[in-house]
Amino acid sequence: MTDNEGYLLLSLPLIPLGAAVLLMFVPSGERTLIRIVTGVASVAMFAISVYVFFAFDYRGEQFQGVLAWPWFENVGFLGDNGVQLKVGVDGIAAPMVLLTGIVILTGTWVSWKQEHRSKDFFILLFVLVAGVYGTFVALDLFFWFLLYETAVLPMYLLIGVWGSGRREYGAMKLMMMLVAASILIFTAIFGIFTEAGLGTFDLPALFDATYDPTFQKIMFPLIVLGCGTLGGIFPLHPWSPDGHAAAPTAVSMLHAGVLMKLGAFGIIRLGFQMMPEGGEFWAPALLTLGIVGALYGAIGALRQTDFKLMTGFSSVSHMGYVFLGLGTLNLIGMSGAVLQMFAHGVMTALFFLLIGALYDQSHDREITHYSGLAKQMPVWAVFFVIAGLASFGLPGLSGFIAEVHIFIGAFRAYPIVGGLAVFTAAITATYLLRMFARTFFGEADPRWSGVGEITWAEKAGATVLSISIFALGLWPAPWIDRIAMGLEMGIPEVLS
Amino acid sequence: MGMEHVWLLPAIPAVLFALMGLFNGLVPRRGDFIVILGMAVVVVLSFLVLLDFQGSFRDGHFAPGDSNLYSFSWVEIDTGVVDDLLLIEFSTFVDGITVLMLAVVSIVTLMVMIYSVGYMRGEVRYGWYFAVLSGFGAAMLMLVVSGNLLLLYLSWEAVGLASYLLIGFYWERQTAAEAAKKAFITTRIGDVGLLIGIILLWRGAGSFDIQEIIHFAEGGGYGETYLTVTMLMLFAGAAGKSAQFPFHVWLPDAMEGPTPVSALIHAATMVVAGVYLVARMMPVFDVALVARDVVLYIGLTTAALGATLGLVTSDIKRVLAYSTVSQLGFMFVALGVGSVTAAMFHLFTHAFFKSLLFLGSGSVIHATEEQVVETLGGLRRKMPATTTLFVIGSLALAGIVPLAGFWSKDEILLVLQDGAGFGPFVILAATAALTAIYTTRLVLLTFFGEPKDQAAYDHAHESPAVMILPMALLALLAVIAGFVALDPVGRALGFTGGIGEVVFTQGHEGHAFKLDATIAIGATVSALAGIVLGFIYWSGTAERAVRARQWSPEFHDLLVNRYYIDHLYQFTIDRVVLGLATVVAYFDRWVVNETGVDGSAQGISFAGYRLKFFQTGRIPNYALAMAIGVIVLALVAVGRT
Repeated sequence: MTDNEGYLLLSLPLIPLGAAVLLMFVPSGERTLIRIVTGVASVAMFAISVYVFFAFDYRGEQFQGVLAWPWFENVGFLGDNGVQLKVGVDGIAAPMVLLTGIVILTGTWVSWKQEHRSKDFFILLFVLVAGVYGTFVALDLFFWFLLYETAVLPMYLLIGVWGSGRREYGAMKLMMMLVAASILIFTAIFGIFTEAGLGTFDLPALFDATYDPTFQKIMFPLIVLGCGTLGGIFPLHPWSPDGHAAAPTAVSMLHAGVLMKLGAFGIIRLGFQMMPEGGEFWAPALLTLGIVGALYGAIGALRQTDFKLMTGFSSVSHMGYVFLGLGTLNLIGMSGAVLQMFAHGVMTALFFLLIGALYDQSHDREITHYSGLAKQMPVWAVFFVIAGLASFGLPGLSGFIAEVHIFIGAFRAYPIVGGLAVFTAAITATYLLRMFARTFFGEADPRWSGVGEITWAEKAGATVLSISIFALGLWPAPWIDRIAMGLEMGIPEVLS
Repeated sequence: MGMEHVWLLPAIPAVLFALMGLFNGLVPRRGDFIVILGMAVVVVLSFLVLLDFQGSFRDGHFAPGDSNLYSFSWVEIDTGVVDDLLLIEFSTFVDGITVLMLAVVSIVTLMVMIYSVGYMRGEVRYGWYFAVLSGFGAAMLMLVVSGNLLLLYLSWEAVGLASYLLIGFYWERQTAAEAAKKAFITTRIGDVGLLIGIILLWRGAGSFDIQEIIHFAEGGGYGETYLTVTMLMLFAGAAGKSAQFPFHVWLPDAMEGPTPVSALIHAATMVVAGVYLVARMMPVFDVALVARDVVLYIGLTTAALGATLGLVTSDIKRVLAYSTVSQLGFMFVALGVGSVTAAMFHLFTHAFFKSLLFLGSGSVIHATEEQVVETLGGLRRKMPATTTLFVIGSLALAGIVPLAGFWSKDEILLVLQDGAGFGPFVILAATAALTAIYTTRLVLLTFFGEPKDQAAYDHAHESPAVMILPMALLALLAVIAGFVALDPVGRALGFTGGIGEVVFTQGHEGHAFKLDATIAIGATVSALAGIVLGFIYWSGTAERAVRARQWSPEFHDLLVNRYYIDHLYQFTIDRVVLGLATVVAYFDRWVVNETGVDGSAQGISFAGYRLKFFQTGRIPNYALAMAIGVIVLALVAVGRT
């Protein structure tokens, strides 16, 4: 990827921002026009994301598509290149860009049937996506944090206005916890800026700076707790089940699919890449939180009777794998963590898409109220089973590739933890298969005879997500090449 | 068609699965003939592979050249910067047991597919059924040709998925959905062990390649305890798939699937994957003798357990399922004393006669729509062909000379006597006699005597030729398959020194069959005695059978309740697992969320509520606070000087 292609990276946050601005001038009643604007924008983002992923050269430079425009420099405490608008991707960000493209494309399609204040919904959704993309492509710590917050804040309104169930509670809890967590990140960022003493927020420069080991050991936990909250790390996860349960479909998809990855991404970027020694010191704790979260989420999910709460717990469990993988401190396990970020992203987006498709028709998310749904919604059931199989790591689907890397990495580090991690996958299979048997199969319940097959938009979205699941599961090389390269160049000190 | 192209065998049905799974509605007959033709091609190819395999013997040694005949890397993490190497290859490997498995899998799959044309006619999801059968065939063939443990694990899970889909084929029936779930979860728990075992093997050898792992283990690369734990983990996976105690509970329930599926997956192919795996890894088990002994005793337990349960079960398919559990136990016994040859030989013969028996029971169910043996009877008059073929299969299962089961069971008893001594030998010999008893019971109650349910009897009719012909071919194999143990037969087929020397063994060296007159005669006599005993109890009136039950009501109760093992598992799941889940769910709700998150929010809110009273807005209050502050400061100042 040449540096001039950095304009494409820059366009990733600008397209949704532009679309959001454009939407402000569209009258609320013009639903066709809203669909055209959002549709074109989402396709453009998707196409660019796919291009960025494949154009990224895993034999080339660490950061590619690097472009920078100075913004503030040599004023106050800022030196040369103080704050710049700087974009670029590495091997870790490239798959995340692709993930965002896939999820926003499908999320836009399924939101088209949103009747209530459709325009405002899309404006906020696109601002959120701009923040997500921005965080993945920003190479300046100032913008990184600015966009990170931009991705989080619209969530409050999106859940509070368009949500369902205990939406005010879910939105408030999510917002309070994430803002509190941001204070920790904020503290760490200024600590890093001061300790580096370069007067710049330039990320590559900050990566290269050396930090005192004691400083690293103090600051690293702030990053883990701060970003980890967004990533759903145990025990800072309680916003996740309630937030997901209350959020509208596309928001759940984006949130569980992409935003939670932002947390793990932050731990890699600000944690391991910035402070490798701190990372090495705290890795056993990260690994412990990871395996505890994985087991805890899976066991907790066994008892959930609400589709979304179950998926929320499942997300806690799967993100636990990510932290476990990061804590192994070897290339295989950490690659597995990044792979899992992608795999969990597409899989959980598919889950939420399908749950939303059911809920829109039945307005009931209670698992025990259903039976024999496969009769009325065969296509829906097939997609759900695909997502479920990916979720418990059936080989040939995305989850397996990620999990097997994490397991192997964990066995290299601590065999007992590896064994527990493999066992967790069996629990995951248990709660999903129990749900399939009870909800999808068996005799059709006449109560739901009015429930019909999912719409074409939902089928198309589910197809795109399923193709992603199969692609990573069957031919993982493009992902692994980029991720391994990104980690090797990004954190050579950490990998043992 | 050389051995290096063996990947074609799974590739053909895999492609057909994808095409027919999606587009079966676009072709005539929903594509059943396409799937069958594809499998017929695979049968032909598997014989070509056999020929090539046979041709690569030089002076009685297998010399195919490169051991990994075909490979490409699937996952590769190795960029040289950091000392981390992970290489997962798609590689194939062919040796004697591969060739054997290819023949068994392709032939039985083809026969079952042809039979299904008659059995499944007019059923819902007819095209999907054939597509999944094809997918199963692909996964099973890939399992046996893979030269890499992770590829094997991948196929292992894929056959499990096919089994799940086919057990739950009639998913509108809640029992079928539950059975499919039970089978998948039970085997999945075993697979936890399998994956752990595979990764532990990798951790030592640094490779997933089976031959490299064997080489590493033989060179003493693994520590003794490490290897024992590893192989036990691996065996847990094998025991799960092959329904060995304590994982055997899923197989009888799996009979909820269509009967041809039971014949294919739950008798002849998928359930023997565990046997195949242990046979494939036998050189490593030979280094971990403790683990090998566990295989022996688990096999022995399961053989006896399955055979006793077969005595009292009244569902015709479940009797056969317990019989399969028991016969798989026989194979593990052979593996437990290190004899790959005996185990694979029994796998080979069992595949034919047991799938024949299942197809026969399918013929009965198809004709009567009834599968409880106590309501059947007298069917020989209405279904002569099915009866004849079923009796042939039963005699082979009982081990009557010269049918296939006789030779292979004999071989197992022989190696057991040599390898493990008198105790296990007696138990297994008694189990063999029990086999004859329950088989006789099944045949008598189903086909002989008087009809007990007149409606079912009147409904009965002989099955169409498309169902009888595959059964006839399997019956032929059930008669002759055992003869390959005889040296002259092997030589006639072109294997110098007997077919058993090369085809039934793992690796490159041959191993000859032995025959022992004493054991052969003893086994025959005890099998005949079992048949006579079965006749005494179950021929004639139903009262006699009841009397048999009264011989020991407690033992009968124990058997009818399946040794209470299923109850114990249900209790564990309901009380222990779900209990723990409830605790976690409540902990999360009340401790983490209500107390931790909401609690701290309420704490702050409460503190704010309290603190607001300090801000009264009245001057005297503030003046008082100021006065107190001044006094305190003054006192501090005084104290310090």
